[in-house]
Amino acid sequence: MSVYATRTRTGRNSRSRAKGCAFYDLDGTLADLNLLHATLFFMANLGEWSGRAGYLARLALSLPRLYMAERHDRRLLNMKLFEAYKGISRDRLWELGDEYCDRVLMRHLYPRAVEMLEANRAAAIEPVLVTGSPDFLVEPLARRLNIEHFAANRLVFSRGLATGRMREPVMADSEKSAWCESFAAARRIDLAGCWGYADSYYDLPFLCALGHPVAVNPDRRLLAAAHNRKWPIVRFSHDAKGVGDAASSEAWLLDWLGGATDGAPGR
Amino acid sequence: MARPEGKLKELKTAELRHEPGARRDLVVTLNRRSAPRLIAYGDDFWYEKLPAGTRVIYPPPPLEPLADPDAAIRYALLRPENADPLFAQLNPNMRVTIAIDDISLPLPQMRRPDIRERALNIVLQTLADYGVDDVHLIIATSLHRRMTEAEIRRMVGERAFKQFWPERLYNFDAENRAELALLGKTEHGEEVWLSRRAAESDLLLYLNINLVPMDGGHKSVAVGLAPYQSLRHHHNPATLRQCNSYMDPTRSALHHSANRMGRLVNQHVNVFSIETAINNQMYGGMLDFLQKNEDRFSDWDRMRLKGFRWTLGNLSEPLRRQVLNQYAAPYSMTGVWAGETDAVHRKALARVFQQYAVPVKGQSDVLIVGVPYICPYNVNSVMNPVLVQSTGLGYLFNMFRGKPLVREGGTVIICHPLRDQFHPEHHPSYIEFFHRCLRETTEATELERNFEAEFARNPTYVHMYRYGHAYHGVHPFYMWYWGEPARQHVGRVIAAGCEEPEVAARMGWEAADTLDEAIAMATSDLGRSASITYLHLPPLVIADVE
Repeated sequence: MSVYATRTRTGRNSRSRAKGCAFYDLDGTLADLNLLHATLFFMANLGEWSGRAGYLARLALSLPRLYMAERHDRRLLNMKLFEAYKGISRDRLWELGDEYCDRVLMRHLYPRAVEMLEANRAAAIEPVLVTGSPDFLVEPLARRLNIEHFAANRLVFSRGLATGRMREPVMADSEKSAWCESFAAARRIDLAGCWGYADSYYDLPFLCALGHPVAVNPDRRLLAAAHNRKWPIVRFSHDAKGVGDAASSEAWLLDWLGGATDGAPGR
Repeated sequence: MARPEGKLKELKTAELRHEPGARRDLVVTLNRRSAPRLIAYGDDFWYEKLPAGTRVIYPPPPLEPLADPDAAIRYALLRPENADPLFAQLNPNMRVTIAIDDISLPLPQMRRPDIRERALNIVLQTLADYGVDDVHLIIATSLHRRMTEAEIRRMVGERAFKQFWPERLYNFDAENRAELALLGKTEHGEEVWLSRRAAESDLLLYLNINLVPMDGGHKSVAVGLAPYQSLRHHHNPATLRQCNSYMDPTRSALHHSANRMGRLVNQHVNVFSIETAINNQMYGGMLDFLQKNEDRFSDWDRMRLKGFRWTLGNLSEPLRRQVLNQYAAPYSMTGVWAGETDAVHRKALARVFQQYAVPVKGQSDVLIVGVPYICPYNVNSVMNPVLVQSTGLGYLFNMFRGKPLVREGGTVIICHPLRDQFHPEHHPSYIEFFHRCLRETTEATELERNFEAEFARNPTYVHMYRYGHAYHGVHPFYMWYWGEPARQHVGRVIAAGCEEPEVAARMGWEAADTLDEAIAMATSDLGRSASITYLHLPPLVIADVE
């Protein structure tokens, strides 16, 4: 089970006072980025220029396939996208994950989302991340947001190098809700009292499993589903001053290029 | 034995019987030849035959509007009640806050220029003339939803909007702790919180619209600019049960509490109230037949009614809602007063009662009310079941002074389709309230004890209130409490034309497919001797029940 304890000591305290959990999706929900942005960052920050060019070219060629996968199956999209990581070392991925979190992800978190996460925590509703992003990216974020538990996707490594395959369970579609159920059962929490925040129609099973589903910046299909099911709809934006500086499309590009030009040599 | 045709021939043409003391034609007792009556039914209208003997209460005709509203506003500012003229209170270095009633008034929205725009332009010009620069405009939303930019622009007008939006013209935020000030406690221990900007101003102007006698007075400032910490002292079942009509401020514990709080505010802040009254010209032009006595319908009126109902019936539900919400009423100003809160409100109240009050003799066993498509809390939104409850049992039941229109233990028939529909962005906490809390209990005190604090502090609802356009998390509770005096008084509530009986059952009501069925259910115990009153809306009417 993809449960990671980042802060064991405080975790015990929070367990004793938690009234329930709030499960957050990451991409598009807490941050205005998606997995493709992260993958681009990783590819653009590999050690050798030739390596970068090769990986980026491969990624560019696979875009039509990724687009088709996105249209039909989120799980398939994740699997296809993670194939792009094949051959990259575990150490490098974790180091870049930390760097990506600092330089990009934290600046693209919706300030209101973080505010609400903290307000939930203050109301003894423990935050949990449930996302299709890779663990080497989610773990640093969870650490920075003081989140004790998260569920993320994990790559299979062979001799320290990513194979491009994913370990089960793949965090997408109904796997997310299954994970939430087992997480709640292990902690004797009633999911009917838990909150869930997600942005995509593919998260419908995940949201349906929770007593208080909230559609965040929903896509067209999730918006229709939320209206139909009478779920609250929340809209986050970067209007308000953020955790980091205000994000812009130019800033994204500079983040990646900056990272690419002064990135540490790869292993 | 006379044949039925013979009996029909014996009947005279419909005659209207006027009860003693009633203004002409305002209280009508129907006979067998009377025309069907128009009854508001959500986003539609029924045209239904009511049983002979039914008493119908019509609103009085609209009062004559002021010939020159701008001049009247200027006069009120120059000759205020128990206060110095506005100009005499101004100096260039002072801090002024103008609080304005929000979109919940009037209903439906009025044609432009809105009264608030007129008054605001004159007040702002006066402030500018005397060099007052530090001016903020706050929409006194209290726990209502934030108004959108377009709604504010329409309400305050281009001039004020361009000059002040968004830095100095904004919605009140009851959850911004840094911007709230505790002024003290009343002799009853009620905490009085207020917008910090308003509390720290040298002069606080409150600009209101009195649609019904419930509005205005100390309630404007003490509720409109106050957070949950203050409102919980009077928006609770215990207080509301002691209200013998919300429309009679002298006998309403809610108003007594708001008055205590408002007086404490006035001890700390220099409040200058500007109250306005409007007539009840809710529908005009092609829709003026909606305000007529149906027995006096001309062929042209009947044709327009048919066309109106046909059009509504052939529109999709969202489009129909949009069309109805975009309708602007041709209300006109009938009075404006300024100065000290109590003195101003006394005069405004007198004018409001002059517009709405109709003397009525005695109570009845059954009261029929039609709940329309709009209430103060669903402007540009959806009428959900909790709001139907607050409109039917809260507002329409309370349209009386003296005694309720229906006797104790009597029956209220509420005409509305009562659909399980909610607006997820405007009323998110209503959804949980209806589907979770009401499933457990409909008892207001239990709801208050078990759930109110949880909803009031829920981070998601707080977030949606502050940054989205949602009503505060606690708002559905207040709406439910609003119906508390009626629930204590009546024996049965029947939803006529109810499309989803489980919705009615969730609220403790009975459901009937048609109005005839509802009347048969209501009168089943009393038979033909049951007395029935139909409160004819629109527009609004207040019954002075002897």
